[in-house]
Amino acid sequence: MKKGFRFYIALWGAKMGTILLKILRRNATFFPGKFALKICPDFIGKIGKPKTIVAVTGTNGKTTVCNMTEDILKDNNIDFIDNKYGSNIDAGVATTLIGGASVTGKAKKDLAILEVDERSSPKIYPYLTPTYLICTNLFRDSLMRNAHTEFISSLLTKYIPKDTTLILNGDDLITSNIAPSNKRIYFGIDRLDTDGDKCENIARDIIVCPKCNTKLEYEYVRYNHIGRAHCPKCDFKSPDIDYLATNLDLENMKLALKHDNTEEIYDLISDNIINIYNIVTVITILKTLGLTCTQINESLKKQKIVDTRYSEEVVCGKKVITHLSKGMNPIACSRVFDYTRKYKGNKAVILLLDDLHEAANGNENTAWQYDTDYEFLNDDSIKQIIIAGARYLDGLVRLEIAGVPKEKITYQRDELSAIDKLKLDGIETIFILHDLYAIDLKNAVKNKVEIMIKNEEELNKEEKKGE
Amino acid sequence: MKIEILFPEFCNLYGDMYNMKYLKMCVPDAEFIETALDDIPAFTKEDVNMIYLGPMTENTQEKVINRLKPYKERIKELIEKNVVFLFTGNSVEVLGKYIENEDGSKIEGLGIFDVYSKRDMMHRHNSFLVGKYEDIEIVGFKSQFTMMYGDNKDSYFVEVEKGIGINKESKLEGIKKNNFIGTYIIGPILIQNPLFTKKILKNIVANDEKLALEDDVMAAYEVRLKELKKL
Repeated sequence: MKKGFRFYIALWGAKMGTILLKILRRNATFFPGKFALKICPDFIGKIGKPKTIVAVTGTNGKTTVCNMTEDILKDNNIDFIDNKYGSNIDAGVATTLIGGASVTGKAKKDLAILEVDERSSPKIYPYLTPTYLICTNLFRDSLMRNAHTEFISSLLTKYIPKDTTLILNGDDLITSNIAPSNKRIYFGIDRLDTDGDKCENIARDIIVCPKCNTKLEYEYVRYNHIGRAHCPKCDFKSPDIDYLATNLDLENMKLALKHDNTEEIYDLISDNIINIYNIVTVITILKTLGLTCTQINESLKKQKIVDTRYSEEVVCGKKVITHLSKGMNPIACSRVFDYTRKYKGNKAVILLLDDLHEAANGNENTAWQYDTDYEFLNDDSIKQIIIAGARYLDGLVRLEIAGVPKEKITYQRDELSAIDKLKLDGIETIFILHDLYAIDLKNAVKNKVEIMIKNEEELNKEEKKGE
Repeated sequence: MKIEILFPEFCNLYGDMYNMKYLKMCVPDAEFIETALDDIPAFTKEDVNMIYLGPMTENTQEKVINRLKPYKERIKELIEKNVVFLFTGNSVEVLGKYIENEDGSKIEGLGIFDVYSKRDMMHRHNSFLVGKYEDIEIVGFKSQFTMMYGDNKDSYFVEVEKGIGINKESKLEGIKKNNFIGTYIIGPILIQNPLFTKKILKNIVANDEKLALEDDVMAAYEVRLKELKKL
């Protein structure tokens, strides 16, 4: 593609902008790319790009998959560019490519790992052909932005370049059918003891065969539309899996990965099914890029799910777990609710799920709460649920409709005062489930919970002394 | 009492199905009939007290139109007979004259109402709504790819105080004819609007019984109404 005058103005202007932002100690994550695209709308097409581009898209897990892939590559001294600190829309991708290009616009590195927002497909793929495009899954997401899975999957099918090889979640019947004429590799997880023959989730987005409208027959359901199914009338079915995780051993935290008649053993760094999918996705990407089992696993063992997403700490014998639970994203929240209910022992759960900005204004559309399995929180092992924040009354009603007895629910607008009512007696684990944009609030709540646990411990000690 | 939910396996986006779950909590003795897209709707064979249809994908709209087309006259008859209908989100579009795609192609609807809608799939409209329905105030949220056009000045559901009507230039939301109500409001409209739910129940069970969780639902409604009015 001929570059032209506008391209160079855009590139040099963006590069100067990046330097300026660095001097001002601001992150150059978005604005250089935004500037370049304003000056030269087909900038992404014109700038030099690494020979191999790995794009990661999908409703849930794309950030974790990118982070883990990048950390393992780095640990193996493989050089690449990425948009880890940038945005995942066209301006963020452009910013990353600008950072990875010389002043003449040539790519300086051979590999790019790019997280791409699925809604941004029309603005990115006409100009950039990923060598590999990974789709982690497609679920109901923010209804205000993404509407429904049919809309998102049709966008991907329409805009994914024909030459891109897809790496797809084969356990997801929606994901596995995007861009059907493209070359594809499937990853998946073999049947688990916890899989059932009935779906217990509210949201199920593929119930009938997309070819002949016949009701699909599921061999097993894992959650929502994840599982394996076939059409009893035509040839539509879940695909054969190329990279299949088998023998999940949660006691020893290992999994076996079957591929091409070989079986390799990998370490698991999380027992949460969402993260196990993320790990299998990462292994599939890295194997496809040519890394060996040893290269991957030695680095994988050192990985940790980042603190902003998951953390656990033991304070005076009680566990405090913080878990990202993206508000407006019904499946992400439902998965976390499921993990919480199945976590061993008695629990108290603190819900901080409001969109802090919209909820504070009163205009948060809370329809997503009714696509989310709040019913999972109606569990005997959950002894108290604290719901706080601007939409606390909506949360209360949703929990009551889910069947949670009102006496178990503490509801209050102010989050930190609500924590005062936390009952620690008999509780082994306190879960703090928080929205993506509530990190500061989550930290404040966590500190308060930890102080309360310590104070209670002191009190208990004094009481014992007194006896 | 019979309440028919049409095509819940498809028309279930945005948590709208909880309108029916909540109604079930309010009238536990009612019979809820869930009709799949392949089944013949119960309203074609017997009288039902209420018919509900929730929001759906664009492809599903075509399937639903094809499924309901043979029953156009029966639907008109039931509207005339004052049967309660609640159609939420884009489901009301299937009863219009047509749905127009961006390229000008049209999907013919049932033509029961003299309105049509236009899709713009790359621009989703999101807004909240506060408005008047008879003597009560309605709150709600919209999230849609389409706008509706046509004259609904004698057949609207809500007179909008904040937000938009059937399109950005309109302040008259939805369609109302006898006990038929079609609205672009999505999500748990019956949970978020207890006064409206009471009116619906009055039409189907003819009494003033307390709603399920009434005190909490009312408290949430009052807070939302106050907050949205301030914006």
